Amino acid sequence: MTTTPEFKWVGKDIKRREDPSLLMGTAKYTNDVQLPGMLHTAVLRSPYAHARIINIDTSAAKQLPGVHVVLTGREAAEILNPVPAFCAEPVVEHAIAIEKVRYAGEAVVAVAADTRYIAEDALDLINIEWELLPPVVDMLAAMQPDAPLVHENLKSNVVFDHTFVFGDVAADFARADRVIKRRLRWPRATAAPMEPSGAVCSYDPGSGRMEVWSNTNMLNFVAWVIASTLKLPPHMVNFNPMYVGGSFGSKHVLGKVIGIAGALSKMTGRPVKFMEDRIDNLTANDSHAADRIYDAALALTNDGTFLSVRLNTFDDYGAYFMFAIAGNTNVMAQAIGPYKINSVEMDIKAILTNKNQQTVFRGAGSDVSNWVLERLVDAAADELGIDGIELRRHNFIQPDQFPYKIPTGNYYDSGNYAGVLDMALANAQLDHWRAEQVRLRSEGRYIGIGLVSAQQRSTYSATEFWFHNPAPASGLTTTPESVRIGIGPTGGFNATLFSTFWGNSPETVVAQAIAEEFDVDPSDVNISYESTRHGLPSAGPGGSRLTVMLSGAVRGAATKVKDKMFKIAAHLLEANADDMELRAGRVWVKGLNDEKYSLSIADIGMKAYWHKFDLPPDMESGLEGSFTYDHPFSSPPNAERTDLGAFYPMMGNAVHIAIVEVDVKTGKVAFLDFIAVHDVGTVMNPRALQGQIRGGIAQGIGIALLEEMRYGPDGQNLSSTFNDYLLPSTLDIPNIKVFHHVTPSPFTTYGVKGGGEGGRMVAPPAVTRAIEDALTPFGIQISELPITPESIVKAIAAANGA
Amino acid sequence: MKPPNFHYFAPTALEDALVLLAQHGAEARILAGGQSLVPQMNMRRVRPATLIDINRIANLAYVQPTTTGIAIGALTRTTTLEHDALIGSRQPLIAEAARYIGYPAIRNRGTLGGSLAHADPNAELPPVMLALNAEIEVRQHGSSRTITAANFFQGPAKTSLTTGELISEVRIPDLPPGAGSAFIEVSRREGGYAIVGVAAVVVLNADRSIAEARVALCGVGPTPLRATQTEQGSIGQPANAHTWAAAATAVQHEIINPPDDLHGSADYRRHLAAVLVERALTSAAARI
Repeated sequence: MTTTPEFKWVGKDIKRREDPSLLMGTAKYTNDVQLPGMLHTAVLRSPYAHARIINIDTSAAKQLPGVHVVLTGREAAEILNPVPAFCAEPVVEHAIAIEKVRYAGEAVVAVAADTRYIAEDALDLINIEWELLPPVVDMLAAMQPDAPLVHENLKSNVVFDHTFVFGDVAADFARADRVIKRRLRWPRATAAPMEPSGAVCSYDPGSGRMEVWSNTNMLNFVAWVIASTLKLPPHMVNFNPMYVGGSFGSKHVLGKVIGIAGALSKMTGRPVKFMEDRIDNLTANDSHAADRIYDAALALTNDGTFLSVRLNTFDDYGAYFMFAIAGNTNVMAQAIGPYKINSVEMDIKAILTNKNQQTVFRGAGSDVSNWVLERLVDAAADELGIDGIELRRHNFIQPDQFPYKIPTGNYYDSGNYAGVLDMALANAQLDHWRAEQVRLRSEGRYIGIGLVSAQQRSTYSATEFWFHNPAPASGLTTTPESVRIGIGPTGGFNATLFSTFWGNSPETVVAQAIAEEFDVDPSDVNISYESTRHGLPSAGPGGSRLTVMLSGAVRGAATKVKDKMFKIAAHLLEANADDMELRAGRVWVKGLNDEKYSLSIADIGMKAYWHKFDLPPDMESGLEGSFTYDHPFSSPPNAERTDLGAFYPMMGNAVHIAIVEVDVKTGKVAFLDFIAVHDVGTVMNPRALQGQIRGGIAQGIGIALLEEMRYGPDGQNLSSTFNDYLLPSTLDIPNIKVFHHVTPSPFTTYGVKGGGEGGRMVAPPAVTRAIEDALTPFGIQISELPITPESIVKAIAAANGA
Repeated sequence: MKPPNFHYFAPTALEDALVLLAQHGAEARILAGGQSLVPQMNMRRVRPATLIDINRIANLAYVQPTTTGIAIGALTRTTTLEHDALIGSRQPLIAEAARYIGYPAIRNRGTLGGSLAHADPNAELPPVMLALNAEIEVRQHGSSRTITAANFFQGPAKTSLTTGELISEVRIPDLPPGAGSAFIEVSRREGGYAIVGVAAVVVLNADRSIAEARVALCGVGPTPLRATQTEQGSIGQPANAHTWAAAATAVQHEIINPPDDLHGSADYRRHLAAVLVERALTSAAARI
């Protein structure tokens, strides 16, 4: 069922506004910033996973011509506070390690020099005396009481250990006919955006001000926190918005990168650039992601009715704890998937090890729980002998049950899960593939079908960040987003955004929304980004929120501007402001079609700017409006954290169907087809959304088949280049067929929901099931990603008793 | 990821390059396509004092017929190996293997001579040259010599080249009548390094018994491996599934100590070698 409200520009399939400057190379990225006298930074990184720094000899490096500063952690601590961390636990991280290093790749010395070449030459001249400590690599071993400690002050490597219970889990398990149990393993991956993180910091010792050009993408949200790291008053630090070459969650803060460049600039009084190279990024960017063992259980009745889900989670967070357990609280937004499940229990053990820390990566942990829940559902179908499609359909929340409050307290705003499923089935030709499966098995070829239905929560509300902290110790931050709309004296629109561009389509969204609001062409709208100095509140991109939040902010700002336009027009046309309407780029007296009862937007703009005598008395000149849009449907958690409130309520849904062929001799997997139906409410721009979905699915295929951040038993990072951290390329990704199902949100402007993360959140279980289905004759269960060719060959050999 | 300082020369004549190579000796490295050398320099894993860039030397990139086969200049790009009509008609095995090497941007730069001199044990072209009985023409200031492919590869990044020598040409003798060839590999992702790759040549007699079989592999040891015992065992056998299955069994005994790393364990590589040898021989014979 498709119920698209009638819009003129919302939903129109126009080309992305951002693309020409990206494709022509004119968009300015952080590494494009060149300032007079600018110095370049290289960082010496720890070769050891766990070691005490006994002595650092930098004398030879300091003598190298062209070197300006050689900065150790101890020296940096005089200039810098610790980097921002949002955990309640006392896990302290410095931009440059001071007493000991906690992972291979941790910064130990930073050098500022005339060129990056000289800076790297200087690194060769630094001698460090180390005391090696036993590395803590395996998370289960790290939990043992006698394990070496990553942070001695914590007394344990288990930094967080709590059981969240939502609803009567014990009773639901007690009345279940059966319980499906699986131990499931999701691998450590990393965001690996095309552009690594970086910063140019320029400190003026005369004024005490610092200018920052950095690809951190939550400028207004974190700039004031990073100012504290830099030991500067927040109003004396200005963050300039940069085009960002992808983040996927990896660039939310960048305290270390900005801290290092900022410290070196404060020491030299010169602009200093620090751009990560690929090895810096893969080993030390803090963008590793969920590294989890789940002991997962689904309680259900014999007719296939789901009752309760219990998730015992062991999560390897690495050496620090910047976002605390945000990647696990995220799961609570959609822990029951699209199904009626009565109660949820989540036991979370966050474990520190000698690895680069985990933060968030597209999906932010719900990618993992979707895979876990769909693995359980497929396991239930297998054990009950019920078709997986019918089992899902039997348990779906029904369209008339929305808004639906789930056991954790979050709400699902709207949905039509059977409608999405039916649309996928209508485009998948499953009868054909099932017949092919039978036919090809007789030739020794193995194809499989994977179908999953899963949620894609959107429109992040920051209350999630604080669930784990005991109430009322922490306040609950919120997530405003602002837009300013100005109309010039000749009628052109200027829209100002306070979030950065990070690879998504904020300019396209805002241009289409303004076109919708004012009935003008999107090409009439100029879009720019503003620095924090001039910034209005903005939480920036993240948590699939920007389309919803920008739409609301545009509506609010447009309402203010239109109100003034109507007042001016009414004054000039001698009518009531209430009787004005916008039509075809003009303001009319309602219902009249004679142009003399109308004014163009340009006419009104000119009057507003330069004809004060023609304005209503008491009206100030100018024609602009700003609006800060707050989350339209969020509520705080209760003190006991048994009801978390609405924190991710714009709930998208998707069905993915993957058809694969497995070469059982080599273990190689090939895609024969891939169908993706997404429902993210009203679609703002189909092609931009399709790009998001396809890119997300590519990353989902990556985690299913290729990606894994590996560490050796000594804690060495074994995946520090793209030879060893395997990202999928276009050659590894099938031609994905994307369809949109539309169930508008009742809570948002235009009914939009966020769609930025769904592809990656839904594809992994579909790919997993497709492979498992192909291998049905061998009776193989898949409980671990990535599914490598070798793992398939080994599983088949084991099944054959070889 | 920036290299330390180095001296850089860009001679325009081969003889000038050889003089420079003689002068700088072991301190010098040849820069051809740079697809392996430059990243290694950027990561400071190799630190040559001198780079001799041969890209401006005329007449080092060519594909020519000879009386007994074809001759390929050392600076010939991988993309040429992939698309050249003479290679496609006379030695399609080279073109087939070239398609597995990286991506078009890499193939536009990487060279035949560079790949052989770099001697990566997972690279595709070394086993192809082994299977084709290639002869590698090597020059140094004042002299030249020819090394057979069989004698060229000595270990990871190790060859029979001595200080002052560079590869100038690779000569590939024509296959006998009744020959077919195939290259096949498995890699973790498309365009990535092979876990195991197999180059196979089969020559059949008129009765479709095997006159000659050649099997060479990458990814199974420190050098590309010519599986001579497997080849010998096939001679005189009928070109059928039973023979190829026997070859698959045989080749596992010739793989002594395969690598064991992130992308494939020793056991998996040995298993893959068998699967791919069987498939490559089957395919090569089917093309006759």
